[in-house]
Amino acid sequence: MTLSLRQLEVDVGGRRLLGPLDLDLLPGQCLGVVGESGSGKSLTALSLLGLLPPGLRATGALSCDGADIALGSRAHVALRGRRLGWVPQDPLAALHPLHTVGAQLIETLRVHGQPESQARALLQRVQLSEPDAALRRYPHQFSGGQRQRIAIALALCSRPRYLIADEPTSALDARIARDVLDLIDTLRREDHLGLMLISHDLPLVGAYAECVLVLRHGEVVERGETREVFAHPQHAYTRELIEADRLPHVHVGATEVATADAEHSFGETSGASIAALPAIRLLKAAAPTQSQPLLRAEAMRMQYPRISKPALDDVSLTLHRGEGLALLGESGSGKSTLARAVLRLLRGAQGRVWLDGIELTALKGAALRAMRKRIGVVFQDPYASLDPRMRVAEIVSEPLRIHGIGDAASRLAKAGELLTAVGLEASMGARYPHQFSGGQRQRIAIARALACDPDLLVCDEAVSALDAHHRREILALLATLKRERGLALLFVTHDLAAAAAVAERIAVLEAGKIVEIGTAADVLRNPQHAHTRALLAARYL
Amino acid sequence: MRWFRSLPPMARVCLLFLGGLALLCWIGPLCIGFDPHRPDWNALSVAPGVGGHWFGTDAIGRDVLARTLAGGRLSLTVGFLASVVALVVGLGFGASAGLAGGWAERLMLRVLDMFSALPFLLIVILLLTLFERSLWLLLVAIGGYVWIDLARVMRAESARLREMPFMLAATAAGASFGQRLRWHALPNLLPLAFVYLGLILPQAILVESFLGFLGLSVDEPSASWGTLLSEGVQELDSAPWTLLFPAGFLVATLAAFQFLGDSLRDWLDVHAVPRADAARESAAA
Repeated sequence: MTLSLRQLEVDVGGRRLLGPLDLDLLPGQCLGVVGESGSGKSLTALSLLGLLPPGLRATGALSCDGADIALGSRAHVALRGRRLGWVPQDPLAALHPLHTVGAQLIETLRVHGQPESQARALLQRVQLSEPDAALRRYPHQFSGGQRQRIAIALALCSRPRYLIADEPTSALDARIARDVLDLIDTLRREDHLGLMLISHDLPLVGAYAECVLVLRHGEVVERGETREVFAHPQHAYTRELIEADRLPHVHVGATEVATADAEHSFGETSGASIAALPAIRLLKAAAPTQSQPLLRAEAMRMQYPRISKPALDDVSLTLHRGEGLALLGESGSGKSTLARAVLRLLRGAQGRVWLDGIELTALKGAALRAMRKRIGVVFQDPYASLDPRMRVAEIVSEPLRIHGIGDAASRLAKAGELLTAVGLEASMGARYPHQFSGGQRQRIAIARALACDPDLLVCDEAVSALDAHHRREILALLATLKRERGLALLFVTHDLAAAAAVAERIAVLEAGKIVEIGTAADVLRNPQHAHTRALLAARYL
Repeated sequence: MRWFRSLPPMARVCLLFLGGLALLCWIGPLCIGFDPHRPDWNALSVAPGVGGHWFGTDAIGRDVLARTLAGGRLSLTVGFLASVVALVVGLGFGASAGLAGGWAERLMLRVLDMFSALPFLLIVILLLTLFERSLWLLLVAIGGYVWIDLARVMRAESARLREMPFMLAATAAGASFGQRLRWHALPNLLPLAFVYLGLILPQAILVESFLGFLGLSVDEPSASWGTLLSEGVQELDSAPWTLLFPAGFLVATLAAFQFLGDSLRDWLDVHAVPRADAARESAAA
């Protein structure tokens, strides 16, 4: 009684994307499949489901409960949605926006010959509150976590034996993600389901899976029992994945700023560069200075139209030269709103902001634009934050061009220097953004932010879109730049480990208010507010 | 020419046809021995093929082939210039409106609504009857009609670009409105604008022919496809070829643009790519 796949290989036009790979899914067992984006973990799931995109060819031997099934055959199609259930990554995209949840459940139940009365019971099983009302509502009326529960209910309609969950929680906040995974885990035990849990987050998978499979560049680099893999990881890549999410508890109090010594390797990440990455350590808080703060914001308020709750509710903060302040919170807590309001990039924000004694909120037009060269900004999405029609050198030197600094030749030279400073090569300036990976693009965005030698660098979820490896590299780079250039850093994040890596102080936001602020060590070791404790508790290691 | 070879076959055929037609209309009148404007009193309403007149002659003995080509030259030129005028105005207006956002965008959208609400034909007829008719007035009239839709499309796309992080990054770096417009909005809008040019070109040609048919385009003895059609209608009984040949050219041109647009849209739309596995499934079922 297993679902097993032998010698799975996926290729496109003669080029191998995945494999060879063997896996067994036993009823009641949870198998974790881990890897960064492009490692082939989703291809594995799609091959199992027979849903590979056109042009991709899968070969291998699939057998389900003793019966051999040819990949792509009718028998394989018949498995899908019957014996094999699937939980999508993005439930909003997977649910039909124009049909009520009830209609979608009933349709699926009918297809599988189940009684329609099951719909309500299914919603109860996935612990959705008020199941009767939920049946009449549309997908957009639910939160992300609730939508994922509905998607799970849909997957259960056919009473599957095996469940494939492809990054089921990567779009959710840590706390809600934990609730959803707990639910999937409960269902697995109750129904004796074989669960394949796919994620880029090894510690997360480790909390649920009995066995793990680590993929990299389409190949299996490590497999075994979870406990064994965590205790004695064989491959450098596995070790790095395990380290990536560990909180810097053990390093608290270390005087040396270790992150600054990181080697910034470029290009294909070799085993050596992985080993050279230092552990993330807490930065030691500087002695309080008497000088006037670089950045001061007072009584920041923001109310979005047609939303009753304020996004920002009377928030104040100060930031000194060379200091890092992390704004930590879940999505909707107002952390990004605060950063944008401080940057004066948000229409309708109220409050007063001073940069180096000059009141930004009193400036307009050209005077405000001139002040902007003293602030660099890095955004979350490394793909959308670079203009696809510009060469990298033009992108990096754009702030200089905006402020009319230097001529074309000197700007090109400066772009080369900046690219070198962020660990790229000066010659890469001639290329276009699409020729770079996510981590490299974020380096380019950082280089652009540094072009006018700013005093303040604002990073709005600058590492959230990156995988574990690139996240560590970029955090190390930011810490280095902060130290070498005496930059003040306003670092917006939902990730405790990232906050601790670059900021001396952490401010925790909830519902538009700062609920806790203090040195990183104090906040992490001795959280005062219930919300901070909840954020800490939602972590897996 | 790699871009040309990468196009779908239908688009290539249409482009070649339209290019050939434009070339023919510009060079053709020089090569055939007949002047499109000079009457030949010895060959009134001659049927096609007689006396070297491949397309025959009209009621006052002018060669229909020469007149069709000369008319095509005018129709295509006016259509092209009017489209370019509409493209420049519509792109500038739409891009500025979308990038500006807020009350300025709303105001500019209301201006577009106002233009849409005006009875276009009435205005054009008024303009062309009140003022001395000139090619410029014709261009403004046609351009003024086709730019509105283009401006709307450009506005929507520009508003999307306004929210892109790279635009936000430029704002955060201190870029002024003009800098963002020139460096980010326009370069990113241009490809879409050129695709749209293929849609407004036939529209402009059709509007010109329509005005010509009503006698509001160029004056005798000059000819456009529209004026030729209106002349041809009057001789439909005695010399149907004076209507059929210009009409055939007009229809072929518009059809070529239509097929070109369709095939380019399918080509650009990733969702229209046939799914191999969906086909396999339906075959299995």
